[in-house]
Amino acid sequence: MATPDLPTITQEDRQDIFLKVRDLTKKFPLVLANDHISFDVRKGEIHCFLGENGAGKSTLAECLYGFYSPDSGEILINGQRVRLNSPLDAINDGIGMVHQHFMLVDVLTVVENVMLSIHSGKIFLDYSEAESKLEGLCKAYGVDLDLHAKIWQLSVGEQQWVEILKALYVGVNLLILDEPTASLTPQESERLFSVLQKMKVQGLSIIFITHKLKEVMAVSDRVTVLCKGKKVATVDTSKVTLEELATMMVGREVLFRVKKTDTTRGEPILIVEQLRANNDMGRLAVDGINLTLHHGEILGLAGVAGNGLKELFEVLFGLRKATGGKIFLAGKDVTNLSPGAIKRKGIGNIPEDRFKMGVIPDFSVSENLILGQHRHTEYLRLGFLNEKQIRHDAEKSISEFDIMTPSIDHPIKFLSGGNVQKVILARELRLDPSVLLANQPTRGLDVGVIEFFHQRLLEKRSMGVGILLASEDLDELLELSDRIAVVFRGQITGLFDIQDAHRDEIGLLMAGIGGV
Amino acid sequence: MLHDLLTVTIIVSVLASTLKIATPLLLAALGELVTERAGVMNLGVEGTMLIGAYAGFIVVFRTESLALGYLAAVLAGGIMGLFMVFMASSLKVDQTVTGLSINLFATGFTLFLYRVAFGDISDLPIIVPSGKISIPVLSEIPILGDILFKQSWLTYFALLMVPIIAIFLYKTKYGLAIRAIGENPRAVDTVGLNVTKYQYLCVIFGGMMDGLGGAFITIGTLSNFLPGITAGRGWLAVILVIAGNWQPLWIFFATLVFAFLDATQLQLQGFGVPVPYQLLLSLPFIIALLVLMGSRARSLAPKFLSKPYIREVTK
Amino acid sequence: MIADIFKNYKIEERQNASIYTKVGFFILAIVMSLIISFILIRYAGADVKDAAKSLFTGAFGGKRELIESLIKATPLILTGLATVVAFKARIWNIGQEGQLFAGAMMGYWIYLIADTQFVWLNIILAIIGGFIGGALCGWIPALLKVYFKVDEVLSTVIINYIMAYFLSFMLSATGPWRQADSFYQQTPLIADNAHWPLLFEGYRLHFGFVVALIAAFIMYLIMSKTPLGYEIRAFGSNPSAAEAQGISSSKLFMIIMIISGGLSGLAGAGELFGAELRLSSRISPGYGFTGIIIAMVAGLNPIGVIVAAILFGGLLNGAVRLQVVTGVPSALISVIQAMVLVFVLISRLLTSYRIRRIKNVA
Repeated sequence: MATPDLPTITQEDRQDIFLKVRDLTKKFPLVLANDHISFDVRKGEIHCFLGENGAGKSTLAECLYGFYSPDSGEILINGQRVRLNSPLDAINDGIGMVHQHFMLVDVLTVVENVMLSIHSGKIFLDYSEAESKLEGLCKAYGVDLDLHAKIWQLSVGEQQWVEILKALYVGVNLLILDEPTASLTPQESERLFSVLQKMKVQGLSIIFITHKLKEVMAVSDRVTVLCKGKKVATVDTSKVTLEELATMMVGREVLFRVKKTDTTRGEPILIVEQLRANNDMGRLAVDGINLTLHHGEILGLAGVAGNGLKELFEVLFGLRKATGGKIFLAGKDVTNLSPGAIKRKGIGNIPEDRFKMGVIPDFSVSENLILGQHRHTEYLRLGFLNEKQIRHDAEKSISEFDIMTPSIDHPIKFLSGGNVQKVILARELRLDPSVLLANQPTRGLDVGVIEFFHQRLLEKRSMGVGILLASEDLDELLELSDRIAVVFRGQITGLFDIQDAHRDEIGLLMAGIGGV
Repeated sequence: MLHDLLTVTIIVSVLASTLKIATPLLLAALGELVTERAGVMNLGVEGTMLIGAYAGFIVVFRTESLALGYLAAVLAGGIMGLFMVFMASSLKVDQTVTGLSINLFATGFTLFLYRVAFGDISDLPIIVPSGKISIPVLSEIPILGDILFKQSWLTYFALLMVPIIAIFLYKTKYGLAIRAIGENPRAVDTVGLNVTKYQYLCVIFGGMMDGLGGAFITIGTLSNFLPGITAGRGWLAVILVIAGNWQPLWIFFATLVFAFLDATQLQLQGFGVPVPYQLLLSLPFIIALLVLMGSRARSLAPKFLSKPYIREVTK
Repeated sequence: MIADIFKNYKIEERQNASIYTKVGFFILAIVMSLIISFILIRYAGADVKDAAKSLFTGAFGGKRELIESLIKATPLILTGLATVVAFKARIWNIGQEGQLFAGAMMGYWIYLIADTQFVWLNIILAIIGGFIGGALCGWIPALLKVYFKVDEVLSTVIINYIMAYFLSFMLSATGPWRQADSFYQQTPLIADNAHWPLLFEGYRLHFGFVVALIAAFIMYLIMSKTPLGYEIRAFGSNPSAAEAQGISSSKLFMIIMIISGGLSGLAGAGELFGAELRLSSRISPGYGFTGIIIAMVAGLNPIGVIVAAILFGGLLNGAVRLQVVTGVPSALISVIQAMVLVFVLISRLLTSYRIRRIKNVA
């Protein structure tokens, strides 16, 4: 795999460089996140950081933003060496960042959130200046936003715009965006790209972090590819193909499609009727959803965060109360049963937030493998836990699922995300469930693990398990699903057999345009 | 007997008492409000008040200067606050246990110091407490004057702090930052503000208010110190913050209502009602329990309350 | 400034803390506590050597002293266990004091009602009564939490105050239990056939000590080897995941508080029928709170609680001689206890986390 040569830098080019990074290294206890990385970013350029999850892109960005301190290396801005000890330093040097998880205070308004970023200024808050300036910015970029709305009232796309506003307000020369399109519909992503183009024309430098190859090709001028903490190359986007980028990103040839067999669909197993539920704020999140999941089918659910998917899954595995409607498993009413009862009935659950809802961090791998099943007779002996059986099954799961851990007694909190997810999968499959609920199962995992998961899911599908799969990655859904349903504002607005499903149409429905 | 109760003199006396009883509670509650808004739950209020009570007392006893006494109490309270925030913010030790250890330390330490200083003398050491300050003109108003304008300076201070803190929290940029930290410290950190510094200042402030509140009990009203003299007021202050849904004005009202009930209960004791005095003494606590049961919403509790903020999260 | 110093260091979690690290930091904690104690002893005007000697001999100096320490340790083991079972689940039960009173009072009440002569029947009733009394007292905060979302720290603390007043009332001149024509707030002596048997001829060590040891062993088994213990630990580590994976938080909360309260109640019964032999307001000089410290110092380990309880019992015992011989107030012990707690907390933190220096970025 040849490394493309860096373009020769002429005297003129050098003046165009805003940011230069040399040999930046950042270590964490378990992993070398950034390994002597060097690159530069020009003025008026959209520069992508491309890499799999865990490649070190976010860490690198946080070092540029002063949130993390690099262990060694140099950062130069406009030719001058700088030390970024905190975000304050970064902001003062003209660097702004929009994080993947928004750094907004939910209960405060848009204006108040922006005011937080303003360090100079009077002790007593004066919103008028901020308001007019913000209105101006919104107009300039063609965005419509209620400045006095509280953050929790805004959609994800609008919240992201507030994050960008925060940076624009104080004035940035370099804007870093970390996986900005993760929770956006295809249309919102397009709108974001056009806003970024406008900024680029103004001379702003933009670093756009992503793992999505198509985005890189669509929006960037140059791209720096990272793989397992090392920089692979920096190339002109116009001079490289998607396949070449993929190879660089992963370090080997990448299969773009996992083989799926023909339909194995059988009888209905899970029926959801007119389901209603509220979210944590007490507002209606699930608004009359009807679904039928069959044996041996993967039903994909497409939807943007905030439209009720999270709440739907929580009702299905028993964590949240349904305020209306019914759920039937194999003909029996299982509505509003406790999570324990639902498990016993044979519904497995891979939760969205694996560390918060899926595992006990301080427990060992083997202890986590019996979570939820710790009262099953095979793990008990005279009322006590049957250590031998637990350990035996743990060893089996570890080899079967290729889980990387120093030992089965190692606390699970020290394992990587991919291995934790494998533990969860292994555990849920032990139940031999007839239905598997999977909410964003491959989020944040690298390609190898994703492939593993896809294979397992398809395997279960051909064995007759009904799988409800939600994913932000539309491509993943299109690859795996037999049918796709779109969830918008708590309702199903579209349902397609896979051969009739088109990316654009689904994207529109996710944004609420068209449909039932 | 109800008839006797409802005489004007009695009512005036109870209302005036209300403000007096409310003072230490209000001071501690407002201090704890600021602390909790910054995300730190300081359960050591009871202990800090006790230390403030003792510090004030012993300094006045030795120097006969009330000013020095109050100063000592504020300092002592501030030091306890410093300890709390050091453990909670810098070391990230569990906040609940830290608060409890403050209480245990304070109980033992004040008892120890008291015994070392005074041994087992039968006569209680006494000091002359702060007197009441009658505000000219206003205190001449019949009834209202007796209730509102003949109080200790610390009572006026506590009452003033309600609007001051309200304005500080809601109308200044520092208040905005503090409120944000309690909800999402990472958001504030990424904007370049120093979360740790804010937490230190808020918790130390809370400690100083607690110390002041404690001092009011010994050198402000009573004339002596007894081990355990705070008798649960610190805990009540924490509960009042919850009852007031983390807002200054509501906390003020809750404190007044509570103090009123306490003043009434004291008056009844004085009357010799045929109710065991222990029941009357339990009344404030039972009411506190009922208040907690009714505050089930807790809708405005700072979301990041009691959680240590760690910047480098590797997952 | 000071803040800048912090910038050069960062805290990261240790994956494998060796036993040397753990012990080392623990000893450091003890040493720090000792240093502070010496300062306070000097402040009280006493000689450190004399003080240390009297404290130690008072605690473990001879057979009689040792046994007295074990007597003091008995309730401490139980309140320590009560704390362990709750804190392991991150349920902050601070009500051991009140639950102890409740157990003592329930035990006394049943003793009055039963009015029986059979020794072993009395013992069984006392144990049952003590446990139930404490359990009921512990159950209330659980109900309040599950149905009204009342924070358990606050509810248990409040109930402590209420129980203390309640006991005071029952023992007051107008109350039903006071010993007639007595000046003190106390009941008459318990009848001989309700005394808990002594373990050694001539010494006051009573059956309660055995109860405490058995309880510790049972708790150890439960916590580490049963599904209930698994659920308790899971819930303490990550309540959201525990709930999502089928562990009912409300049921667990109640079970834990009942067990925890019951254990403290047993302590109360033991003190009443084994040591004090009458119910009075002296029944607990802070055994509940000391139990909390013991549990924390023992790392929430049931067997460790036994060791810590004996040590702290010794301290309590030694403090009496300390005051008599050197004049240093026995209240010093309360201070030492709190200091030990704080230093152990810090030392434990240092064991779990490592502080690393960041190399300056050029």
